[in-house]
Amino acid sequence: MRLNSIYQIAIITAIMGIFTGCSKKFDLKPSDGIIRNNFWQTKEQVRAAVIGCYAALMGDPNGGKSLAETLFTWGELRGDLLTAALGTTAADLEIMNVNTQATNTITDWRPVYKIINYCNTVLDYAPSVLDKDKTFTQDLLNGYLAEVKTIRALMYFYLARSFGEVPLKLISTSSDEEIMQIAKSSRQEVLAQVLKDLNEAEPMAVLSYGNQATDKGRITRYTINTIQADVYLWMEKYPEAVAACDKVINSKKFGLIANSSAWFTTLFRNGNSAESIFEIEFDQQKLNVFYSMLGTGTRRFEASNKVMDQIYTTEINLFTNALDIRSDGASVRAQDNVIWKYIGNNATDMISADGSYTHWFFYRYADVLLMKAEALAQLPGKGQEALDLVTLIRQRAGAPETTNNAPDVNNIDQLSLFILDERAREFAFEGKRWYDVLRYAKKNDYQNIAYLQDFVSSLVPANSVRTVQAKMLDHNSHYFPVYIYELQTNKQLVQNPFYQ
Amino acid sequence: MKNYTFICIIASLFLAYISGAGCKKLEIKETTTNDPNVMDYLRNDSLNRFTKLISVIDKAGYETALNTYGTYTFFAPTNDAIDAYLKAHNANSIDDLPKEDLQKMLQFHLLSDPILTSSFNDGKLSSITDFGQYLVTSVVNTAGVSSYVVNRQAKITQPNIMVGNGVIHAIDHVLTPSLLTLAQLIEQDDSYSIFTQALKETGFYDTLNITKNKNGAQVWLTVLAQKDQVYIDSSIQNYAQLKAKYCNTGDPKRTDDSLHLYMAYHILPDIKYLADIVTSNSQETLVPLEVITDKFVNNKVLINDDSYTTIDGIVNEPGVELDLATSDRSATNGVLHNALGGFGIKIRKPFPVYWDLCATQPELTRLSSIYRKKTYLFDYGDSTNNTFKDVKWEKSCLKYRTGVKGYLGDYWQMGMGRSSSNTSNLGTCSGNSWIEFTTPLLVKGKYKVWFCYYTQNSTVSAVQALFDSVPLTSALIEFNKKISSVDPAQEASLAAVGWKWWAISSEKAGATAARMLGIVDVKATGRHKIRFQLVSGANADCNFDMVHFIPVDWPSQTSPRFSKTGSIEY
Repeated sequence: MRLNSIYQIAIITAIMGIFTGCSKKFDLKPSDGIIRNNFWQTKEQVRAAVIGCYAALMGDPNGGKSLAETLFTWGELRGDLLTAALGTTAADLEIMNVNTQATNTITDWRPVYKIINYCNTVLDYAPSVLDKDKTFTQDLLNGYLAEVKTIRALMYFYLARSFGEVPLKLISTSSDEEIMQIAKSSRQEVLAQVLKDLNEAEPMAVLSYGNQATDKGRITRYTINTIQADVYLWMEKYPEAVAACDKVINSKKFGLIANSSAWFTTLFRNGNSAESIFEIEFDQQKLNVFYSMLGTGTRRFEASNKVMDQIYTTEINLFTNALDIRSDGASVRAQDNVIWKYIGNNATDMISADGSYTHWFFYRYADVLLMKAEALAQLPGKGQEALDLVTLIRQRAGAPETTNNAPDVNNIDQLSLFILDERAREFAFEGKRWYDVLRYAKKNDYQNIAYLQDFVSSLVPANSVRTVQAKMLDHNSHYFPVYIYELQTNKQLVQNPFYQ
Repeated sequence: MKNYTFICIIASLFLAYISGAGCKKLEIKETTTNDPNVMDYLRNDSLNRFTKLISVIDKAGYETALNTYGTYTFFAPTNDAIDAYLKAHNANSIDDLPKEDLQKMLQFHLLSDPILTSSFNDGKLSSITDFGQYLVTSVVNTAGVSSYVVNRQAKITQPNIMVGNGVIHAIDHVLTPSLLTLAQLIEQDDSYSIFTQALKETGFYDTLNITKNKNGAQVWLTVLAQKDQVYIDSSIQNYAQLKAKYCNTGDPKRTDDSLHLYMAYHILPDIKYLADIVTSNSQETLVPLEVITDKFVNNKVLINDDSYTTIDGIVNEPGVELDLATSDRSATNGVLHNALGGFGIKIRKPFPVYWDLCATQPELTRLSSIYRKKTYLFDYGDSTNNTFKDVKWEKSCLKYRTGVKGYLGDYWQMGMGRSSSNTSNLGTCSGNSWIEFTTPLLVKGKYKVWFCYYTQNSTVSAVQALFDSVPLTSALIEFNKKISSVDPAQEASLAAVGWKWWAISSEKAGATAARMLGIVDVKATGRHKIRFQLVSGANADCNFDMVHFIPVDWPSQTSPRFSKTGSIEY
């Protein structure tokens, strides 16, 4: 009996011991953060969440690959402006040599989907704050929703152009239980969703936030119109693209920064200029990757010889008695092919590592003008109008006669090609080259596929030219593979057939 | 009693547990990986695509080989592929084919290195099949879908299946090796009849008809053949006329006969698919020291399409195209290409090359803000990151000096044995002991090599030039030494002892000196290397301006002369 009673006491003590810790141990609320039920209470919190979406554009707080790096590599690696340097990775080379595999980390789309998820979170929870915070107005809410819808649309637009088909995830994920396996949507569905978001956002968005820096770093209605123009151009809906560009142009709020010695500093180094439409505003607290990527001795990329030899040429403009202002000292440093746009303090001095905060330029007014020109060039009888816009851009830059192809204004193809070349000069290293080339090649049911074949043949070693040319004939090869990790975790995903 | 029972129960449960655990067999893992090997993969294929291939492997007795440790590439034909193969060989089942045939067939599908499609190019795979012939790869687009094609015979239906001992590529047709030698391959094609007869008459037919040499080693050759139509287009209707045109001794079998040499010039040692040809600029032929140059422009492989710079401008010799579609035909001992035009050994007389060391570097001349405008220090580039394709130096930077008294007003300036001087406060480069340039095209022949410099710094040093690693011994370069006289009356006697001045009459000075470094015998037309190596002393301002290669029998070794403005005085 004695044994039994000790036994009982021991058990009771043990149970008591377990329960004493209860009140703290079973409280799952984090001690250093805020949970969702306590968030989404006030309009300030909604605003903080929206600003958080912009902050996410600058970089992943958890240290993942930044969006700017992703967009730079997606837009330029398959283009003809980059060449390998000492720090080029195997993954970079694989894509540069038109030999992308599904194991290539650059094709990982997580940096983009993370931002989409932040946007989805705001879209899901911000409307509920209207009931909780009586000072929160419908107009204010609409403005916020317009911003995040536009960011989401822009991200999906990048995905659509890079991968073709991607899963459309339109509601937020906040915990592991909510992870859903979603199949890919077709290219048309993705683009339709992009347009739907943009069109819904357009009337709700503000025209100005009241100061220049905010107007360039946050979405305004003009940003939406600009993205619409880009999407319509990609979808070959030219009158719609012209109309969208006109909304921006007719606002008379934007202009081209004039050719001067301060041109580079004003437009690129300082950013937020009158020419800017939407930028990622890096600053001293949040630096970008470009100094280490392009400026150090072990830089990852340099400009290809083609940039100075053929794209800008080393001829001078007879009126300005200078090179194209966009060439040496702006896009590149010609003497050693350093990519200058993100690491120049001015035309001659390089920034230091702690000054790596030149903005990422999603859109500039020059883009609106050239997009309009490109759309007009496809429409009958609008050739001269298109050429005039290109001339405007060329005059601002002081482009030399050698790069003037003098296209026939009634010849759609000559005009389109001229605009494509001009875009290379204007937007060198702004993450647009590959999309511009592909847009040109794929229009009218891949009318210019031969151009794309020629284009890639100059990028690869002589012994694989015919291989890559034959690859280009498969349109699926123009889009990235789904990264292998995504395929393993989302069983609904089907690999791009070219990479199967 | 109650307690006792309790303890009993506990004890028996414990015993039961112990005895139970002891019964379980301890599993020891004996493999290092759970990945299936080639055979396991083929057997367990969820689509059952390879059941017939497994029977082939079984019958050939290769099952063990394919399932042991290794790093293979295996091209696995599917059941449909094997059926088609059997049909083509009039066999009803695998059993109708002898074991040796099946073994050879499998050998042709097997490589000893794992090769993924990412390393495929337009030519042969980097390693050879166990059968002993190379496989070629390409990409073909059918109905909008691009896929890899192996040996122009089979499409890869599923690439890069990684298994424990290598990689498998599933293919839709069985690969069959070439059975003909190069000689047979050419002879079999009626459109090569003139070329075939010339091969036979010159004795090269036999050279192209063996697969093993007398030591038993595999023979690999490449033939650039010309079709009859090419000959007819150049008014050669038959072999007799070809012989009449080229044969100078009457016996085409003689190795010094021109027709013999003409045919030897159409054969390259080693196996070179077009993809291999385009990766290097010149190819040896069976004619000693006669090379074929090649380039890949506008999707055309051109041979002997050369341009070279003479003092009168650029001369262009149009080349001959190798047809992409009808070339790259594999034989048991090499590969056959189809030349769309006639070509033969180039007979060129050597001509002088007045080579400016700065103006011939495209990496410099395209820098419009620097070239002939400002002095600049070029960073050292290692072998993977060339600052200049055709200039190499030991270390540190290299100074481009302009606004000076060199030809075109510029030269390379290097500190040899000590740091370079600090021109325009740009800083200094460490002392180098050598610098090497790749020459422009030199036609084979004998040349006097003149080195043109500008004397600036009087510290004593001696630098020796090496042409293709052979030292030039007539004179060393002493950058501190001026020419003793620029009097035209002294010109001939100075030239006889290896001195001349290179500047035009209005600019000539003792400092505008040139030394004859030696005579080089250029054995093969092409680009060569000249290297300047410090022998003794040190000089902070060694000015490298020009090198003149002047044929030994050329009328003048001293004229023309050159100006800092770029003009030339004859």
